[in-house]
Amino acid sequence: MIQKKNHGDLRIVLEVWRQNGPGAPGAFEEHEVMANEHMSFLELLDVLNEQLVESGRDPFVFEHDCREGICGSCSMTIDGKPHGPRDRTTACQLHMREYRNGDRVRVEPWRANAFPVVKDLMTDRSAFDRIQQAGGYVSINTGSAPDAHAMPVNKENADMAFDAAACIGCGACVAACPNASAMLFTSAKLSQYTLLPQGQPERDQRALGMVDQMDAEGFGNCTNHYECEAACPKGISVTNIARMNREYARATLRRRD
Amino acid sequence: MNSFIRFLSSSIGRKYVMAVTGLSLTLFLLVHMAGNLTLYAGNDAFNEYADLLESNPLLPLAEAGLLVLFVVHILFAVLLTGRNKTSRSDKYQSSLGMGAKTVASTTMWITGPVLLVFLVIHIWDFRISKELLDEYDLAQMVVDRLRHPVGFVIYTASIGMVGLHMWHAFQSAFQTLGVAHPRYRSLIQNTGRLITALLVAGFGGIPFYLFFTG
Amino acid sequence: MTIADSHASSPRLDAKVPGGPMDERWSNHKFDLKLVNPSNRRKFDVIVVGTGLAGGSAAATLAEMGYNVKSFCIHDSPRRAHSIAAQGGINAAKNYKGDGDSVHRLFYDTVKGGDYRSRESNVHRLAEVSVDIIDQCVAQGVPFAREYGGLLDNRSFGGAQVSRTFYARGQTGQQLLLGAYGAMNRMIHAGRIDSYTKREMVDLVVVNGVARGIIVRNLLTGEYERHAAHAVLMCTGGYGNAFFLSTNAKNSNVTAAWRAHKRGAFFANPCYTQIHPTCIPRSGDYQSKLTLMSESLRNDGRVWVPEKEGDPRAPQDIPESERDYYLERKYPSFGNLVPRDVASRNAKTVCDEGRGVGPTGEAVYLDFGDAIRRDGKETIASRYGNLFEMYERITGDNPYEIPMRIFPAVHYTMGGLWVDYNLESTIPGLFVLGEANFSDHGANRLGASALMQGLADGYFVIPATIASHLAGRKLEAVSVNDDAFKEAEAKARERADLLLACNGNRSVDSLHRELGNTVWNYCGMERTAEGLQEGILKVRELRAEFWSNVKVNGDPNHVNQDLEKAGRVADFMEFAEVMFNDALVRDESCGGHFRAEHQTEEGEARRDDENYAHVSAWEFTEEQKLPTEHREQLTFEEVKLTTRSYK
Repeated sequence: MIQKKNHGDLRIVLEVWRQNGPGAPGAFEEHEVMANEHMSFLELLDVLNEQLVESGRDPFVFEHDCREGICGSCSMTIDGKPHGPRDRTTACQLHMREYRNGDRVRVEPWRANAFPVVKDLMTDRSAFDRIQQAGGYVSINTGSAPDAHAMPVNKENADMAFDAAACIGCGACVAACPNASAMLFTSAKLSQYTLLPQGQPERDQRALGMVDQMDAEGFGNCTNHYECEAACPKGISVTNIARMNREYARATLRRRD
Repeated sequence: MNSFIRFLSSSIGRKYVMAVTGLSLTLFLLVHMAGNLTLYAGNDAFNEYADLLESNPLLPLAEAGLLVLFVVHILFAVLLTGRNKTSRSDKYQSSLGMGAKTVASTTMWITGPVLLVFLVIHIWDFRISKELLDEYDLAQMVVDRLRHPVGFVIYTASIGMVGLHMWHAFQSAFQTLGVAHPRYRSLIQNTGRLITALLVAGFGGIPFYLFFTG
Repeated sequence: MTIADSHASSPRLDAKVPGGPMDERWSNHKFDLKLVNPSNRRKFDVIVVGTGLAGGSAAATLAEMGYNVKSFCIHDSPRRAHSIAAQGGINAAKNYKGDGDSVHRLFYDTVKGGDYRSRESNVHRLAEVSVDIIDQCVAQGVPFAREYGGLLDNRSFGGAQVSRTFYARGQTGQQLLLGAYGAMNRMIHAGRIDSYTKREMVDLVVVNGVARGIIVRNLLTGEYERHAAHAVLMCTGGYGNAFFLSTNAKNSNVTAAWRAHKRGAFFANPCYTQIHPTCIPRSGDYQSKLTLMSESLRNDGRVWVPEKEGDPRAPQDIPESERDYYLERKYPSFGNLVPRDVASRNAKTVCDEGRGVGPTGEAVYLDFGDAIRRDGKETIASRYGNLFEMYERITGDNPYEIPMRIFPAVHYTMGGLWVDYNLESTIPGLFVLGEANFSDHGANRLGASALMQGLADGYFVIPATIASHLAGRKLEAVSVNDDAFKEAEAKARERADLLLACNGNRSVDSLHRELGNTVWNYCGMERTAEGLQEGILKVRELRAEFWSNVKVNGDPNHVNQDLEKAGRVADFMEFAEVMFNDALVRDESCGGHFRAEHQTEEGEARRDDENYAHVSAWEFTEEQKLPTEHREQLTFEEVKLTTRSYK
């Protein structure tokens, strides 16, 4: 259970990154906001933005949508931690009771060359889509599927596939990686299909396609710090990266060209 | 061949090369260390062991192989690190960290080059310089070197670096090679730590022994 | 318009329901439909707006068939559509448990659950294709829950008497959406789908009475783009955010549907909104959205409030004898498992009596104390652990020790654009899929049916029925330089300029919040004629206030989230009035529409089948004018109309 640190209102000094576009110079802007312990972190930013709008200034741009930790839109580094200080929690699910009155909090975008800043805290994560397009699926046309019970799946594998599939594509793994590597993301996608019988026919080309695309996007290499696993709001395991490494080597050995 | 080159130009392929060469070098270090331990039995034992090695006709081949391992390991380290250091041009303004990385994991790119410098000194000292001499007592050369304060410090510090490098490297190599079943994760990690400790104790014990018994 | 014979459908609403026996209609219809020759499909461009379950599955399937698909979404990736947040599961009449389920039973339950306000033929088709959905998703690698034998697991959900719900832990929506997204990705990779992300549809382009394109705003650059096609599919979700606070995602909106409505698509049954009983209550004025917790919690949790009004004691200090387990008391046979609308309304009733709990007085307890004592903490944790964790994360309270506080929240909207059996709206060439249409859930949606409908529409219905338009009509060539496109783009630009020019002193959010309050208070869980009339006036005032006093800052030619929001809220302001009107005109209670004037002595909804067994579809006339109502009479051939009873 959470230790209750505060009750009632908190004064928070926010330093939020302001940047007009990719490559444009950026800087922190300091603002004071009154918070309530039950507020989510994004609601704190809402309050800040409302203050800014009403005083005729531009609100900060930040990605958000479902605000329940599943759409993967929110993407901000809070005091050097992607999604903030709480384990397995997206920024939208982070609540102000984690903070104390008078705290100074610094908010920056994800930083990686493969995720250029669009504006303020918003970054372009389309690299993830392109990695998926390079093979993150089973090629089956609608209507041609056999009965769902035609192929039993070992429960343990099904559960592991699910654990990998829990990835919400937020990019915190890249943001947290000292090398801005996307291997946790890519490997989670790859693992889901590798672990299921439905994924077997395209196993090799999937591994080759996705890894090659990942490399082409300009992400760094994994050096096994496991910061990604610690930052992942869904707790995706780095064993997936090991599996991807294996799969890639296997596919290389089996390729015909 | 084409697929091999493609493998070597991919991120994972390069990591494989690092892991395979790294683990091979670990094996070499263990053998090297075992040989060094003969020093405890006295200079003669050590020289005898050295002679045995040198009389082996396959030695030049082994040395060439070792050289290739080192060169490849270093070359790919440069390639990988180069990319990793440029994949985030706009740095974070706060210090980034989730608490998973370790001193060992974050200093690989420092311990690596430092060990390269040591390697050059080490090879000069004990491999090349003796070629320039007509007659030499290898054991005595080692003893002289390590009893000298500068030699002692360089050597022990470098062994420390080996330890730091290995602390991360061993389990990292297995992870890279894809051996990372959750059940074996701690086994591999502990084996790595044990080997690291062995190497540090084995290599590091000798200078202390010599320094404080001389 | 006056309806001479109140039991005849308006001639404008031809549902095109095929004849013959109910269980042969869909097969016969598919046979009767024209086909587009595979080699001709590449000559047809199809626009799909939205990439949720309906849009994603439709885009992928049509591309696989050979059509040229252009897909649009407001997110940075198709994978983020709000379908992703669905937790519970997806129904299918597989009868894998052998507990007597069948297509007919699923059909029957859905019609009954919808309180007899849905179109029987559509619902039957939904039940039929439900089985194919599961096959399709499993083949895609969707990791559904499995049993140790390796076969799929099912559970009973939302009070259903059979186990027909397939699920993937609490993330069924995400897994199904990722399946559809994967299918899309495959087609994007193959060059069969052009994917346009960060694009918001701001208008529909109608050429000679046929939907032939859309105008979108690029949300990154502010540019307006014109896209032409032979058909337009709108899969743009529901309008729950008219309430400001709902479980919908922040960016969910009615704009695309509303713009299409203004171009001639009738809006059907906008008053049907679903209020979900188990949401985390709001904690203050800054609240930006509400979070739903799976209904499955009611399987073990007991709902109660204190007997006494305004009881200030902490829940653990209130003795058993002073607690009112009102659902168990009023509905002895269903107890805490009554349907969503009944559970929600009762929560409101006890809160209105002043017996609500928590700092706002707008919450009831959901207590696991007995369940923990009975089954042990571990068992309860294995069932609901992740939900408890989520609750604790948001509220800071530990539900193992303190009863949860819950309150109903807007969750889903059954109303939407009117469509015929082919899913075609009243504008030829405009098809509407998923939550955006009105078709399958009547006045109330059953749990685990939304995912089923979205995927049924996208994977199986539209791929067949779109041919009725593409092969059945002569479609002349259009160009994005035609006047209709220019006019629509100019209109969209003008509207954005107007918003920027207002330069008042109120933020978009503050106005949206006020609108939400009004809709919730007057057109929420319980509605009265008087309240609705008052609400309409308030909405009008607020709309005037919006246009005179809204403040939108920033650069229109760059990312401008304030401008995006302003456009959407402006549309909600117009839409809300139709919603109120629909609720006012429907002078009966049914499903999610509860008119206080029409209830039984026990406070249950009282339908008026004699006069209201119809769909109300609203036609836009002109700005600031009331829309015109058209009716589609509903006939029930298979399911007998009865009063729902959960006593």
